[in-house]
Amino acid sequence: MEKTPAIKIKNGTRYFYRFTVNQRIQHVILAWSVVTLVLTGMPLKFPDTSWAPYLYSLFGGIHAAPVIHKVFGAILLALFVYHIVYLVYVIYKYQVLPLKQKERLTTGKVLKLIANQPLVPNLKDAKDIRDLMKYLLYMTRKRPDGAKYTWKEKFDYWAPFWGMVIIGLSGLVMWNKELATMIFPGELINFSLIAHSDEALLAALFLFIWHWYNAHFSEAVFPMGTAFITGYLPEALMVEEHYEDYVEIMTKAGLADEILPPHGMHAVASEEGGQA
Amino acid sequence: MKRAGQVFRKNLNFIIVLICVLLFAFASSVFAADIGNCLLCHKYPGISRVDENGDLKLFYVNEDIFNNSVHAKVNCEGCHTDIKKVPHDPAKKVDCLIECHIMEPSTEKKFSHKDADFFLANSVHSKKEKDGNPKKFAEDMPTCKDCHDNPLYRPLSFFKKVRYGVSEASLGRCRVCHKKDEFIYRFYNHVTTRLHKSRNPLNIAEVCARCHNDPEIVARHNLSTKAVYSYGETFHGKAARFLDERIPDCLDCHVRQGESVHQMMSHEDPLSSTYKDNRSNICTNMDCHPSASPKFATYSVHAEFNKTQSPVQYYFTFFFIVLTGGTLLPLMGIIFLDCIRRLFPHAVIKRRK
Repeated sequence: MEKTPAIKIKNGTRYFYRFTVNQRIQHVILAWSVVTLVLTGMPLKFPDTSWAPYLYSLFGGIHAAPVIHKVFGAILLALFVYHIVYLVYVIYKYQVLPLKQKERLTTGKVLKLIANQPLVPNLKDAKDIRDLMKYLLYMTRKRPDGAKYTWKEKFDYWAPFWGMVIIGLSGLVMWNKELATMIFPGELINFSLIAHSDEALLAALFLFIWHWYNAHFSEAVFPMGTAFITGYLPEALMVEEHYEDYVEIMTKAGLADEILPPHGMHAVASEEGGQA
Repeated sequence: MKRAGQVFRKNLNFIIVLICVLLFAFASSVFAADIGNCLLCHKYPGISRVDENGDLKLFYVNEDIFNNSVHAKVNCEGCHTDIKKVPHDPAKKVDCLIECHIMEPSTEKKFSHKDADFFLANSVHSKKEKDGNPKKFAEDMPTCKDCHDNPLYRPLSFFKKVRYGVSEASLGRCRVCHKKDEFIYRFYNHVTTRLHKSRNPLNIAEVCARCHNDPEIVARHNLSTKAVYSYGETFHGKAARFLDERIPDCLDCHVRQGESVHQMMSHEDPLSSTYKDNRSNICTNMDCHPSASPKFATYSVHAEFNKTQSPVQYYFTFFFIVLTGGTLLPLMGIIFLDCIRRLFPHAVIKRRK
């Protein structure tokens, strides 16, 4: 049997494979370093608050905390570089090469391939946002049928992506300020500080409010989503968030008969059935 | 029995150490400068008076604290020269520029703070313009006591320790030649206090903040920044807030190396350390950023989130504020709606046909 089957059954519940071990390790390193960076960075952004000195002391105060911050900053930057290499390698090996063997490669075809990557935002995302708003405002009972990665997850991916570029570059400038000002004027350090700390606040709030709500604290997942550890998502959440992908996987696995109705429709179906 | 003996010996050691510690703790009171017996009254914590303006004035002198201060060797009458008898009439304010009875050992002249006043009169904090005419708002300019109180000794420790304070091990070496412990303590304290600042960077900034963060004074003198506020926005200022001793404070940049802080100049004065062309010398100081290029000093140390003072940085910051609000508010709105939606998962507003 395959080590990581697309569908796994445990305690009578179907689980759907979503994240490879490599991806999960990348995520844990990302999460770990981001939390450490926030904890060692925020006291410096808000030094006048009552909690700042205590939190900072926890990391060794003004002498040690900046060192820890730089170490984890370097880990995060290394991870970012690794991720880019990983991304290019995976797309090249599993998508571009097979295409090359099948037919002649053109720039247009490669661009199309990149545009069709599951994490690239597309028109369906806009449609899904519109449909979600309809659902949230009680205009429909039906949640949008999410693809493998929904717009929320794309947001979760691209926001830190952009954040890491901004925060990473500005952090490197402040870390190597003497070197940076050999070329650029000293005011670059001013702009780096603003960009670094303001973008970091945005990133921290974004992750700790939006990402944690969707992945852990929402009523459907509470108290904690486990897919980031196990790599598998339970059927109920697949139905709720990734219905399109769910139907596809189920059909592929020859379980088309056992596909559950979309989220919220189950009750409606039985209600209507009762009336008939 | 053997065990009991051991315990007693252990305790004996402890008692001896305790006695030594207590002796050192009380050692300071040996150096009292109270020749006029002023503490007869002023040792009482409640001693106070309501003055003509209705303000309550406290006259309590904590002997222990005073004896650990830099003025411990000066008698009360050394500064309070108008007091000749006890009990005395209301005392005049102390004039820091008087010659006190202490001899300055290198010149063998009576000691005075007059030099500081001379430096101050020629600095940016002078009450007079360069042409000798009084400045506008001369009363805002600081005098001695606006920046100074009676600081405590803050000795550095040198003897294989990183702890601050008097190093007993170092004192042992002093005792080889110097016999009087009072002399040893005072000299050790005096010299090691003067080897660094008697205040940490945060305290120095707080002193300057009294005027330089006062919006009225800043406006009255057309200063471009609330200097200590903008310092606090930099890494230097933030580190100072976390009690870093090694971070530069106001004086490290605004005073030329090797000169008295009282000789501070305006940044428009070519002699000033903060004059445009001199600035890079501050930053590239061997102790700070020796590898930095002159461009490094074009960093705006006192930039504020202020449209007129630093417009580019203002709009740059503004962009991030808008980005943060624009991202988070809609997402938080969705979270809010989602929380409520989950309470009524099957509810739907039906349109009338």
